Amino acid sequence: MEELVEQIKLQIIEALNLEGMTPDQIDDNAPLFGDGLGLDSIDVLELIVLIERNYGIRLTSPAEGKQVFQSVAVMADYIAKNRKK
Amino acid sequence: MRILRYVRIDPDTVRLDGVPVPVTGRGLELLSELYRNRVKDYPKFFKMDLLCKLGFIAAELLVGDEPDRFVPREDRAVLLVSRTGPLCDDRNYQKTIAEDAYFPSPALFVYTLANIVTGEIAIRNKYEGDTTAYGFPSFSAGMLVSVVKVAFTDRVTTSALCGWVEAPDSDHFEAILMLVDDTEGDGMEFNPENILKIKLNQR
Repeated sequence: MEELVEQIKLQIIEALNLEGMTPDQIDDNAPLFGDGLGLDSIDVLELIVLIERNYGIRLTSPAEGKQVFQSVAVMADYIAKNRKK
Repeated sequence: MRILRYVRIDPDTVRLDGVPVPVTGRGLELLSELYRNRVKDYPKFFKMDLLCKLGFIAAELLVGDEPDRFVPREDRAVLLVSRTGPLCDDRNYQKTIAEDAYFPSPALFVYTLANIVTGEIAIRNKYEGDTTAYGFPSFSAGMLVSVVKVAFTDRVTTSALCGWVEAPDSDHFEAILMLVDDTEGDGMEFNPENILKIKLNQR
């Protein structure tokens, strides 16, 4: 799981152009939106694309996305349980 | 009308009010270097496409040290001209919708309009006046002067960030951005001759 968390952080940094940020600067349990990384609504869409492209998981409702993108730890747990590739 | 300040940026050089700005990088790295040295506090910069990065940085150089900079105002317009618009971002977006790898990127899609760069500058600076992006078949100082002068006839606009922002790819781009106002006094007259001199680094 640790490896997956690290991988997700790297993918988030690359996909969202978080220049200058390193994986260790992202707290596993910090909220991704609002006070955490401060991501916006376009970033949510980019994360939806990210998990479909990299893990074959298609989110079908915004409510589901809100749940999955709470934090990197939550994302990793969801991906581990639902990944198709 | 007069030119209060002006900047010219290409992949290798930056001149602010005719004075070279020292840079070590080139192309996209040059823009990132200017961001790190002159801006620092607007990480959204890194999400922008090339056209927006170029226009944004040019604007930062022009108005970064203005007093009362972030007080909302309606009297300043943002009027930019380009030939290829967001073509660079269009190409990048197209790669994400290729048949063999269909994952459309929302972050790229939002920059596939020529007028986003004027909006980015207006949002950053809290300009609530006219923002317009024009597509010209080629650089024309005369046409640029004409469209800017028309904008000043609305009884609201008293100054404008205006100019040419062209960025077909990261090895070929040029920004000639000017801060102009409608007063008489010191400074260069806002006319095609002076704009051409800025373009040719003769000012």
